[in-house]
Order: sequence, then C-alpha cells, then structure tokens
Amino acid sequence: MIILLPNLAEPQHFSTFESGLFAALAAASIWAFWRRFGPIFSKILQSKKDPGFQLFPIGRRVRDFVWEVMCQAKVIRERPLVGVAHALVFWAFCAFALVTLNHCATIFGLGFLDPAGRFGRVFFYVAALFAAACAVAIFGLFLRRFVARPKWLGAVSWESGLIALLIFALMVTYLAAFFVPGASTAARLLWWAHTITLLAFLPLIPHTKHLHLILSPFTIFLSRGGFAEIPPLVGDEDFGLVTGKDLTQLISLQTYSCVECGRCMEDCPANNTGKLLNPKEIVLGLRGYLNEYGPHSEEPLLSKYNSQEAAFECTTCGACEFQCPVGIEHVPIIVGLRRGAVNTGAWQDDQGAKLFLALERGSNALGMSAAERDKFIEKNALPLFDGTQEYCLWLGCMGAYDPRGREIVVALVRVMRFLGASFGVMRKERCTGDPVRRLGNDLLFQQLAEANLEALAQSETKKIISICPHCVRTIQEDWKAYGTPPEVEHHSEFLARYASQLPPVRDREKIVFHDPCYLGRYRGVYEEPRKVAALAGDVVEAPRSHERSFCCGAGGGLVFLGEEKGERVSHVRAEELAATGASVVGTACPFCNTMFRDAFADAFAAKGEGAPELMDIAQLAARGLPE
Amino acid sequence: MKIAVAIKQVPERDAPVRIAPSANWIEERELQWAMNEPDAYALEEALLLKEQAGSEVIVVSAGPERVGSTIREALAKGADRAIHILCDDLNGRDALGVARLLAAVIKQENPDLVLTGLQSEDVGLGQTGVIVAELLGLPHATMILRVEKTDAGLRVKRELEEGWFQSIELPTPAVLTMQSGGNKLRYATLMGIKRAKTKELRTVTAAELGADSAPTVVLEQIAAPKKQKSTQMLPGSAKEAAAALVEKLKTEARVL
Repeated sequence: MIILLPNLAEPQHFSTFESGLFAALAAASIWAFWRRFGPIFSKILQSKKDPGFQLFPIGRRVRDFVWEVMCQAKVIRERPLVGVAHALVFWAFCAFALVTLNHCATIFGLGFLDPAGRFGRVFFYVAALFAAACAVAIFGLFLRRFVARPKWLGAVSWESGLIALLIFALMVTYLAAFFVPGASTAARLLWWAHTITLLAFLPLIPHTKHLHLILSPFTIFLSRGGFAEIPPLVGDEDFGLVTGKDLTQLISLQTYSCVECGRCMEDCPANNTGKLLNPKEIVLGLRGYLNEYGPHSEEPLLSKYNSQEAAFECTTCGACEFQCPVGIEHVPIIVGLRRGAVNTGAWQDDQGAKLFLALERGSNALGMSAAERDKFIEKNALPLFDGTQEYCLWLGCMGAYDPRGREIVVALVRVMRFLGASFGVMRKERCTGDPVRRLGNDLLFQQLAEANLEALAQSETKKIISICPHCVRTIQEDWKAYGTPPEVEHHSEFLARYASQLPPVRDREKIVFHDPCYLGRYRGVYEEPRKVAALAGDVVEAPRSHERSFCCGAGGGLVFLGEEKGERVSHVRAEELAATGASVVGTACPFCNTMFRDAFADAFAAKGEGAPELMDIAQLAARGLPE
Repeated sequence: MKIAVAIKQVPERDAPVRIAPSANWIEERELQWAMNEPDAYALEEALLLKEQAGSEVIVVSAGPERVGSTIREALAKGADRAIHILCDDLNGRDALGVARLLAAVIKQENPDLVLTGLQSEDVGLGQTGVIVAELLGLPHATMILRVEKTDAGLRVKRELEEGWFQSIELPTPAVLTMQSGGNKLRYATLMGIKRAKTKELRTVTAAELGADSAPTVVLEQIAAPKKQKSTQMLPGSAKEAAAALVEKLKTEARVL
C-alpha cells in the first residue's frame, strides 16, 4: 500500500549560496525572535520569587502537563468543537518538530529522515495526516475568528489572521511536496516557500498572543496547583499586589501566557452584567504594566492598567480560572490586587469599611449582637458542643443571624435528629473570615482565623458540618495559614451519605438545582446535593450548571458591598433558574438563597406572578420527615 | 499642631457581660476588648486633622496590660506615638481619679488640642474629658461632631437635641469631647499594624505620675437591667395601624 503512495520530494543538493542565504535568514529570524522574547524572558525571571514554591512532588505537575498540554483535555472539554480544532493544530506542531528539524538540516546535507527509507516514509505520512487535519482545523478557526466572530475574541486581530495564513501555508507547502518529482524545480521552490514561512513565523510568536505556544506548557507545568488558592504573605513588607515589585515569577509568566481566548469572560458574573471587570483585561493589564514599567517598578498596579473598581467587582466565583486553558490563576491575582489595596488602606469604600469595622468590633459579618445567636440556640434547644458529640454544627453568620439561614439550620437539625447523629454548636463563634479574606483584609482574617482555631482546639472539635460552602472552604483551606483546622464537610455531603435512610416526599415537584460556586468549582461537589434534592422531586438542570454554573453575585464579600453598575447578577441568574419552569429552586448555600430571595421578590412582585419556591437541600430533605 | 487623644478600652460590644462575685464590677475573664467607640471617633478626627495640617497625634490610655492591644490599634490606624498609663485599678477609680492620670500625662506633652470621646461605652459617666479640661485649666466643648482649624483657633460643630447643631469658635489649646458618627471610621490595616511596631510606646505608672488619690465616688453595686416586654396592639385598618405605628416609632421609641 505504502509503495503506491508518492514520496515526499526534497531537493537533493543545495548550492553554497543557498546554504549561506538560509543561514543568514535563519539568523535574522532567530535574532528578531530573541529581540522581543529576550526582554519578556528576563522580565519573568527578574520578578519576585514565588514564596514557598516547590517543584516536588512532581507527579501532579507531570499529570497536569500530560492531561492539559499533551492531551489538550481542558481546551477540548470546555469548548469541544473549537477545542478539537485547536488540538489538531497543536498535535500537528508536535509531529512537525522532527519534520522541521530534518527540513532545516537538509540544506547542509545533514537530513536524517530519508523520504524513501522505511522509517522516513512512515513518519512523513503520519505527519502528512496531521498536516491535512491541521490545515482544515486552522481554516475552521480562521472562519470562526473572522466570520462567526464570537464576542469573547474581542476586536478583529489581523495578526491572528496572518498567523493562521502562515500555519496554513506551512501545511500546504509540506503536503504539496508529495505531489512533485524529487529533483524538480518545483520541489526546490516548495522547500524555500516552506522555509520562508517558517522563518517568518518564528519572530511573530513573541510579538503576538502566540507566545502561549512557548510559555503556556511551562505555566501549566509550574502552576501552584489547587483552585483559587490564595498564597501566604511573607515577611514584613508583603501586603499583596501593590506595585510591580510584588508580581511573582509565576504571575508574570501567566500574564505573558494569556492567549486572549476570552473563555474567562464567558461565565464571569461581572462581565456578563455590565460591570467594568473583565478577567481577561486584568491579566492583559498586568502584561501592559510589565511591558511599560517592568518588575522592579514602584508604580502602583491599580492605576493606569488596572482599576480598583474592576478588582472589587469580582465575586471570586472562579468561572474564569476554572476555564483558563493556559493555567492562569485569576482569583489569586484579583484577590492579590485587593490585598494590596486593603492592606495598605488605599481602598476606601463605605460598605466595605462597615463590614471590616463590624468584624473588628464584633463577631459576625452581619453586624448583629452575639446575644441574638444565643437566643436562637436557646429557642431551638440546640445542644452545646462539649467534645463528646460526633459533629460540631458550625452555624456561620447566616445560619446564626439571618432568618432564612436559621430556617436551613433548623431543617438540618431536624434531619440530624431523625438520623440520630450527635451534634453540638459552639458556645461562641466568630465569622470564619471568608468575606474579609476575599476582599483582601489579611489583618482581620488572621485575627478571626486564629480566634476560631483556638476555640475549636479548646473544645477538641474533630469534625465540623456546615450549611455554608463559604465557611467550609475557608475553614478547610484558608485557615491552614494559621493552624490545623478540624475536618469539615458541607451538609450536602452528609445528607447524601444518609439519603437512603430518609423518607422521600410523596408530592414530587420539579426542582432546578443551582450549583453554588464554593461547593461546585471550589470543592468539586456536584452530585451530592442533587441526590438530596431528588428525595423531594425530579431534578432538572439550568442552562448553566455544574462547573459552568453562573454565580448568584454574593461571593468575594460582594454581598456586603453595593452592586452599583449594570444589571444585578442575582436577578440574571434567578430569571435563568425560573425560566426552567421548575416549581422549586434548590440551593445549597445560604448566600445564594438570600440573593435569589431578593431577586424573586423584585422580579415576580412586578409581574404579579408567583415565584418558584426557594428551598435549601436541607429543607427539601426535611420535607419527607414525619411531623 | 500637637493633638493628644485619650482612649479607653471597653468590653467588645456584643461580649457576654456577667457580674463578678464582688457585685461591684463585671467578670473580666474571657471578655474580648475593643476601643471605646466615641474615642475611636476622637482618634479619627485627630487623624483627619493630621492629614490636613500635618499634626502629631499622641494616644494616651490608662488601664492594665491588655490595654496595649487597643493602643497598638490606634498606632496602626495612624497615631504617631502612645503613652500607656499602667494601672490595674482603673474601674476602682472615679472619673476624677482617671482624669488626674490623663491630665498628668497630657500636661507633660503640652498639646494644642486634647480630644476624647464624650463618654465610655461601659460606665458612660461622660465626665472624664470635662474634668481633664478643668484640671488642665483649658477651655472645653462637648458633643463635638467636627473640628476645623482656623487662624484664631478652632471652629467646632456641636450636636444639640432634635437635630439642631451649634457652631462654636474657641482658642487653642482646648479640650473637646467627641460624639460618635461625625466621620466615617477607618479600618485597621496590615501595613498599619506592621508600621506600628516601630512607633514609640511609653509606659508610665500612676505612682510615677504622682496622680494617686482615694476615690470620692465609689461604685457599690451593679445589676443587670430587668427585662421588660410591653406589647401594644394597634387597632384599625392596616393603613391606620401603620400610621399609628410610625407615630409611635417617632414619639415613643424615637427610632425614626
């Protein structure tokens, strides 16, 4: 079969003039490449070292590299059609590495792949298959960018068109060489056409977003791991991202890796409701800063290239970071910018200051008297945790002070009592520090985390259960900076474990479940709450669900600030949920619950219709219990 | 301008207060402590004046060791240096006794302006600042919301009843007791706390100041207020009841 196929045509001999010309062009190409790439490379290297960075254990890094870079898994998973097209281009590039090396070597008579030899033939055919697929894929991507033009890609970029053209030309000049005779002028012309395309392509890489070709494999390999993890501050002069001096090597690497695909904007609650914040522009803003001022500058980061307003519009929902195919960690960057503004006192916001003062002087984010919590505990006869019970039931600010949050706690308590699970509540609790942590107030967060850790250690708490995904995340991950937190789980995990022991509800309803960001993307818990909700009805999915869930607007401390610009995030999501036609909206976070309650009150009161019922999964689980 | 701010540390607002076995004070163990709120406003006003006119702000606070945390908070928010009058018997002293301590220290500093809260959130006597003025022989004004530096001295906005205000001019040096709510308080920052470590914090004792004295007013007993609940049913239609409710909230509860 192989015998019948034509061989790749390669010129047999090159003149000294040709070799000299090639050497000169190649040198010029490499020079033009380095002239641009060199400064970028040194800016990344000269940035501050990432505190606590360790290459080992390396297993995770290799796994991420193979999965996300080699297999292109994230690229494909989040946008299948475009992702596969991209993967075909990428794999063709990989296959071409050897072809290109051989191609350049032939001019000096050093070619190591023989087009007539057994290995050479097979390899060239395999490369040809990739080249054909790549040519089709790049053409498709070209059509998408210049004809379909999804808004994520921003303004038309001619450099992208040029790059697409060059890639297409590279593939075509390679494929065409199978159809011309070996020693012909045509073969020589094709060789040179391929070479010139290649040498033109190289310097374009660092000048355009195609820099990701070189950097993103490193970005993914070197990433800190985890999701939306906020790094510790180190030393007496570290207040977060204040100036260029605070940008670490990994942040600089990430900013230059951005491929501007706009996936980060797709489910961004701020960007989709008319706010200033655009996660892509945050990253490109830092790149602009590094290009102009460099990593040693004392120019503030929040001035020309990024604004304080945008940084404080982030709900930390993580939809950007979750999707990013090149390993950019948006949430730590945005929280880092906030830390820089709050830890130095540069951020002045009435509602923000009110929240901080409430937590400086009191125990909870709602600014209520702790006596209200005591009354709630007394009224519902909640036992105090004394070290003998299995679970410490963490009430959280919403569970202890918010009327709706309390209803959720009461429902969970009914279920726990039905199941015979032993539990107790802390005599005194302080806010876990979630809102101040995400708003960037490290002083207050440390005080809250330390006070809580000490109280929990004294009561010998082993296992915490909470109705609030924000509390769960903060206790489990963020408190680690100041001690060893007890084991903690969200009530959806507990309830799902015992779902088979709970009586299902007779009158089944249609329930749409809203994935809270801090339970889904942050914790990877998707199926447990659905299993619990299914006790009370048939679960349907919202258009955006699971890891692509759209935020309710409360996270990142934003529930305590005013949402001034554009549409309200909560209203957009609430309407999306109501449009599924479900009679019940199931939630698993007291903040989502309160956001939707307000949104429904606004939207449905105006229409004069009945809003869907809003129920936490604990309330759904409690529905089937005997009175 | 040199400004001295007298600050008291009081139990945190929502701390569970229990009466001590002695019955003349509260159980201090397990309490969390915070800066007296009107004093926090006094500090805020001093910091604003500092930002406008480049003053030096000196914090003065009397009390046991634990008061140090509130002093550091004041330094973190922007005060330049602090003096801690170390004494373990603060609650045994009457207003005159405390004012003597504060006045002794403030006299050494010879400031142009002395600011303090109009009262404390714990015992709420409302006398200390005024007595300090008397001991220092300085003019004073109370319930001040805002302070403005003028060529001649100061112009201050004073709160009266029923939403009335009074504008007063007075010369410096002077003592002002500040009302809460005139400004927006700033929050403490990590940078402030770190910088505060290098600021001067001097400790003196009551004995060193020669300001010890037997109290003329002695606190004999404290008691928790009796719980009272009185429910009123408002008759009539929803509209009438709502109107009556608003009237009661205005005139009886005075929350509107």
